[in-house]
Amino acid sequence: MLLRTEKICKYFGGLKAVDEVDFTLKKGQLKSIIGPNGAGKTTLFNLIAGAYLPTKGKVFLKDKDISRMTLNRVSRLGVVKTYQINHIFPSLTVFENIRIAAQVCKTSFNFWRQASSFGEINDLAEEIMTKVELKEKRNWPASTLSHGERRYLEIGIALATKPEVLLLDEPTAGMSCAETNHCAEMIKKLSTDLGLSVVLVEHDMSVVMSISEEILVMNEGRTLAEGTPREVSDNEEVQRVYLG
Amino acid sequence: MVDKINTMQQQHAPPKPLVVYGAVFALLFLPMVISTPLATEILIWAIFGMGFNLLLGYTGVLSFGHAAYFGLGAYSAGLAFRYLDAHLFVGIAAGILAPMILACFIGALAIRKRGVYFAMISLAFAQMLYFLALSPLKEITRGEDGLTHIPAMALFSFSLGKPLPLYYFVLVITAIMLYSTWRILQSPFGKLLQAFRENEERAKACGYNTTLVKFFSLVLSAFYAGLAGALNTVYLGYVPLTTLFWLTSGTMVMMTILGGKGTFLGPLVGVGVFLFLQNTISLFTPRWELFVGSIFVAIILLFPGGIMGTVEEKIAAYRMRRASK
Repeated sequence: MLLRTEKICKYFGGLKAVDEVDFTLKKGQLKSIIGPNGAGKTTLFNLIAGAYLPTKGKVFLKDKDISRMTLNRVSRLGVVKTYQINHIFPSLTVFENIRIAAQVCKTSFNFWRQASSFGEINDLAEEIMTKVELKEKRNWPASTLSHGERRYLEIGIALATKPEVLLLDEPTAGMSCAETNHCAEMIKKLSTDLGLSVVLVEHDMSVVMSISEEILVMNEGRTLAEGTPREVSDNEEVQRVYLG
Repeated sequence: MVDKINTMQQQHAPPKPLVVYGAVFALLFLPMVISTPLATEILIWAIFGMGFNLLLGYTGVLSFGHAAYFGLGAYSAGLAFRYLDAHLFVGIAAGILAPMILACFIGALAIRKRGVYFAMISLAFAQMLYFLALSPLKEITRGEDGLTHIPAMALFSFSLGKPLPLYYFVLVITAIMLYSTWRILQSPFGKLLQAFRENEERAKACGYNTTLVKFFSLVLSAFYAGLAGALNTVYLGYVPLTTLFWLTSGTMVMMTILGGKGTFLGPLVGVGVFLFLQNTISLFTPRWELFVGSIFVAIILLFPGGIMGTVEEKIAAYRMRRASK
């Protein structure tokens, strides 16, 4: 098992946002977390990514306990999150946005050498730009991109850190139907091509059903069901609570 | 369309090396336009400003206590010159090292604080140093009188007691610092500073220890401030107590914003305009602050990006218009 949580809990005062959830992810797997609003999906996400400290329970990455680690340390270990609302570097160019992430392991505190002279890092950034289809916008400031393009950049920044586990928080939020389908295809392709494990929090059921290998359904902070898309959509409890 | 993209690239492109060489070339002739002591003062404060701009303009961290580093640099150099008869470069090195150590200390204590809290803590430290120099350490700092009797410096056989050799000596250092700043801004670390300013949370999610980024930026900024302070001691031949006073910090904030924070030449231009106005207006009235203050307010209201910020914006807009034609 690449990543797993053990009875993980996060309480905000009296609110049990996530309550004893056991989540598992295999290498190369694409797994989605779904549930109604307020089900605790994003909180679970943030617990895995190190953005929140769990109230109880543990998170393991390849049997290494990462529950008390900060966001940046978890990211260095290869579990990288994207954001529901665009979190990019707006006045830097698309290339710089991705390059910043690509340089994280090697050269961050080099004060003197020109950033442009690090061939390997620049090549990686170029490669990622092609993967997220932003090559043509290479030199555009990120703030001038359309919403859909920013969502792609969001994924590109995360990819540039060479993650093992990619946590995508509603990557298709705010996209048109055509864009959503395209984005879903891209995610699937990235996962297959790079052998990347992907966790997806998503509202769009068509995306979830079409690309996920496994789905975890949450409700009121707890696990409601878990299984393949078919198993989940056949589950009566899930139909009652979520799918209607 | 391609032209338009190129224009956008230029707007956000880092400054070209030509800007560095051009600025240094122009500064060669500055003493022919304004008085040499004023020109020297501009260079010294410009070095201070470059460091402050790295922190405020590029990292997005406001320190309201940079007088601590400038003043400590000035005093450390002054004390080394006066009591230890130190060589010019040894004194300057002391003036750089002491503020950097202080920045490590303040950084370790306060760097996790954000925004106004960090600004206030840095102000408090600067004021503590001011009062330390004023009274408890009076025996060595000479308190309110400032540190006097600093021998005139010489570099090899050139006396730096004369205005013009001193100006060109400071210019050489300014040129080195301009070039270094330019290099730093192009380096992975420089890019990281800007990423931090743009979105700290995302920089963290990329795996960066953002506290460390802020810490290094502060220490680096203290290097510049200390160097400027030490040069100020060489220039004035004494250390006024006001180098540690909060007004020095405030003036630096004003100068940087006036010139355009986060622009490469902003500090140099801001310092130049500020000191020139101060010198010119004070010839006519002792209440020059009133006029400089009014001009500052007017510029900030009309051009929120500061002088260089607005100039860069206008150039980019002009290029955009030409490209779209």
